[in-house]
Amino acid sequence: MAIPYVMPKLAMAMNEGTINEWLVQEGDFVAKAQPLASIETEKVAYDVESPEEGYIRFVAQPGDIVPCGELVATFCESEAELAEISAAAPIVGATLANTAATEDALATASAAAVPASAAPAPGVTASSAGGRIIASPLAKKIAADNALDLRTLAGSGPQGRIVKRDVLAALERGVPAAAPFASGAARELARIPMAGMRKTIAGRMTQSLQSTAQLSSGWESDITDLLAARKKFVSREQQLGTRVSVNAFIVKAMVYAIRRVPIANSCQEGDDIVIYDNINMGVAVSLPGVSEYDSGLVVAVLRNVERMGLVDIDREMKALVERVRNGQGTADDLSGATITLSSTAGIAPPGLMSTPVLNLPNAALVGPSTAVEKAVVRDGELVVRTMMPVSFTFDHRMLDGEPAARFMNALHEALENPELMLA
Amino acid sequence: MSLTKAQMVTLFTNLVRAEHFGKMMYRRMMQGKLIGFYHPADGAIAPGVAACSFLNQDDPLWPHHRGHGITHMLSKGIDIKYYLAEHTGKSTGCCNGHSGFHYGFPEHHVHLHSGFIGANFMPTVGYAWAAKQRGKGQVVMNCSGDGSYGEGRAHEGMLMAAVWKLPEVFMCENNGYSIFSTFEEMHPTEDIATMAQGLDIPAVVVDGQDVFAVAEVAIAAIDRARKGQGPSFIEAKCLRFKEHDIGNRDLRGYKPREDEEYQEMQKRDPVVLATERVLADKVLSQDEIDGIHEAAANEVADAEQFADDSEIARPTIEEMEAMVFAP
Amino acid sequence: MRELTYINAIREAIQQEMRADETVFMVGQDIRGGVYPHTKDLVDEFGEDRIVDTPLAETGMFGTAYGAALEGFRPIVDFMFGSCAFVNFNETSIMAGQQYFMHGAKHPLPLVMTAAVGMGKRIGNDHAMFIHSTFCRQPGIKVAMASTPYDAKGMFAQAIRDNNPVMIPWHTGVMQKREHVPEEPYYIPLGVADVKREGSDVTVLANSEQLYNALELAEELAGEISVEVIDPRSFVPFDLDTVLKSLAKTNRIVIVDEDWESCGMASTISARIVEHGFDLLDAPIRRVCLPNIPIPGGYMEDYTRPTKEKIEAAIRDVCA
Repeated sequence: MAIPYVMPKLAMAMNEGTINEWLVQEGDFVAKAQPLASIETEKVAYDVESPEEGYIRFVAQPGDIVPCGELVATFCESEAELAEISAAAPIVGATLANTAATEDALATASAAAVPASAAPAPGVTASSAGGRIIASPLAKKIAADNALDLRTLAGSGPQGRIVKRDVLAALERGVPAAAPFASGAARELARIPMAGMRKTIAGRMTQSLQSTAQLSSGWESDITDLLAARKKFVSREQQLGTRVSVNAFIVKAMVYAIRRVPIANSCQEGDDIVIYDNINMGVAVSLPGVSEYDSGLVVAVLRNVERMGLVDIDREMKALVERVRNGQGTADDLSGATITLSSTAGIAPPGLMSTPVLNLPNAALVGPSTAVEKAVVRDGELVVRTMMPVSFTFDHRMLDGEPAARFMNALHEALENPELMLA
Repeated sequence: MSLTKAQMVTLFTNLVRAEHFGKMMYRRMMQGKLIGFYHPADGAIAPGVAACSFLNQDDPLWPHHRGHGITHMLSKGIDIKYYLAEHTGKSTGCCNGHSGFHYGFPEHHVHLHSGFIGANFMPTVGYAWAAKQRGKGQVVMNCSGDGSYGEGRAHEGMLMAAVWKLPEVFMCENNGYSIFSTFEEMHPTEDIATMAQGLDIPAVVVDGQDVFAVAEVAIAAIDRARKGQGPSFIEAKCLRFKEHDIGNRDLRGYKPREDEEYQEMQKRDPVVLATERVLADKVLSQDEIDGIHEAAANEVADAEQFADDSEIARPTIEEMEAMVFAP
Repeated sequence: MRELTYINAIREAIQQEMRADETVFMVGQDIRGGVYPHTKDLVDEFGEDRIVDTPLAETGMFGTAYGAALEGFRPIVDFMFGSCAFVNFNETSIMAGQQYFMHGAKHPLPLVMTAAVGMGKRIGNDHAMFIHSTFCRQPGIKVAMASTPYDAKGMFAQAIRDNNPVMIPWHTGVMQKREHVPEEPYYIPLGVADVKREGSDVTVLANSEQLYNALELAEELAGEISVEVIDPRSFVPFDLDTVLKSLAKTNRIVIVDEDWESCGMASTISARIVEHGFDLLDAPIRRVCLPNIPIPGGYMEDYTRPTKEKIEAAIRDVCA
């Protein structure tokens, strides 16, 4: 009796995955827990283990983008069954990629997944960067006739097929065609396709800004005392086993604020606002891009931070970021954030106020930036204090100004009075 | 009834021509100068000559496949050079080079051939029915071998000819072989004629090596049919001197035919027998006989010349597609 | 307005052609008595020489027609049931198909073959099976099936006038359909499809009784899905142009063929559409055919037939 193997849903937000590489050969007998495939989600690739044993027949091929839950392989009980199934089933997904294209695809896909390694040359195309475009013959023709790049489209047909209506809608929207730049004066330095992680980020950002009622507020918090406290932790680096960061304090401060205004730690699910009890802290992590010019971005998730002490937070967060940067982030590492921290401190100009984009489906995001020494008035006296700008974005569909303000104030309080976050 | 001298001369002449053509076909096949295959009629040419020498042009004919109908067609007055051209793939062939070995002489009411033994029984019903409808006295001459009477079609053809009293002559050229299979092994009775008699069709068995004997019964049968008296069946017991088709082994059952058999058969060569008869009856002198042979040889040479000088048929795919359906 | 049933429309075509041309005759088994209405009592008008009953000998029966056609007549052979045309398949298919071409394209074989086919009476494979696809295989034979009384008269008359073998069976499920049929003789060319209902969302190709299913369904879906219904009418020659023209409008096609899935006309049409109209397709081609099961008798027959539900499912599938 053959057992189907479907594209696993490795993260709450995962809709589809790409088979980068089968780690076994067609027809092999695969044991349970044997490494089976390298699957790339929207952000990261990882090796999945076989949940079953049997003679494997591939249904999806490397490079295929498959929605979660759809069949990618079958485990056959016997070689006879394998032969039978192989003979009966038509080749799903039509054309087989030629070996060269597949190898290109693998090379590029794994490069994108492991940012630390050398980036491939600029100009690599999407089709070889992992992902066949499924479109009806008619859609392809209309797109070609209008110089529209199908890679910019999502398909609304069965199995995500791009069909005529998708192409016509794109043309109506005025999606820029893949027309060559008209001027002879512009000399290309690099050409980076909006594919893979970039495409995902583009889609997520657009979706976040277009589907929510988000707005940002900013203020300055006096972190002079926080820095002094931190200094003490840093002096105990050896003992504590980690050089406690400012971010760890900020996380702690956010926990404090969430406990006072729980609705800041909520997600939109369907028609509900789900307020979470535990706090999975999303941490925006920048990654290298496919070239020296661009970058990547992923939100790593530190789970259940409400239970952690400062030192744990710092250590775990650093380990998490390292894992993610090495392409070893697990599903849990990359999904399930209930609130997100996105810091530009140290990179941005001092005092930067911004409007960071919400990490859906979170209701809130905290965006601290580079602190600056400023002259401020304290008890009627002019003093020099270190002021950190904090930008806060929230979704007004879920939080109104009043709870938002109360959260911001609580956060502000904790940042200015570190003893509160340590309580 | 006895044959007139003129009839005997006609029969003898056609027999000699059939022999010359047959030998030419065999030779050309061995030389690689024929397309397809060839089923030699050597030794078995008398029944065809007898059956067809006295047909009218508008009497429909199904020639026996043995000898590829040449014996029958030349006796009926058809110019064989067009058939040879067809058999050499030329555009001047009777089927414009489309068929390789089929006959297509609609003006002589020889309409088709088929690779299926027994196919003759199907259209001949229609020819005969049409002839009866027309009422002009047309007769259908339906020639085939002993093997064909194994087909259910033969039964249907004879049954319908009998029940409708069709103007048809069934000329069964029984040479005792179907490829390798012997008649004794494949047929339950000594004569096929009994099948016809079972349907009340007047049937005779005759010595198929004697062209004059066959002609006597053939003329009588044609006459009956022309007068509207219905079908007749003639079983001409003849001999197949050579293999079923060139390149095949000449077996009896599954063993080679014995030398004795060949030697005995040669004693009954139809041309030899006919020559003896025309000389004995003083129908023809030796000179005249030689003259007939020479004329036959020339006729054959002319046919070969015509075929060899003609162009190979080379239509394009589009041209062929346009010829699948009649306008 | 004079209405005729489908089967009587065929009868009228035969009558009118036989009156106009004395070389036209009919041959079959028990056609004088008339197992089906289209031959009943014709013998009274035309006599036994032109309405010919034969013994139960399909080869002889067909031979009567075949030989007569080569000798200047224009026969109609009635096999009674479509499957009987397979009894002497060599003759009805191979020999009839190749006659003209193999013999130098000199001498036509004008011959009409007809018979009843069709499911719906629970009588089983022998009597119900469809034969049109099988006859499409041998080059040289034209194959057509009329779905409506109007088409039946015009196409049958045309078949009789055609100088080629034409296999034109008819579906027992449509024999009692009635509509206005002009009294005077008229001819509908073979090889021309007919758009029976215009639409814009999906093309449905359907013939004989399935045509009525498709038209009813199109009416039911109107407002939600606009269905264009085309009756191919002829299978050889097949009017691909009309189908492609429709496909250029709708970009989706469902082919209904009440015949086994394997190697049926629906397969050939699909392949031709992909070859000549690939870029018109916004969805895969869907066929609605019989499963490859001998047509069961009894109630099981009902489960295997294409139904409105099955056609609707296919329509929705390509419109997804």
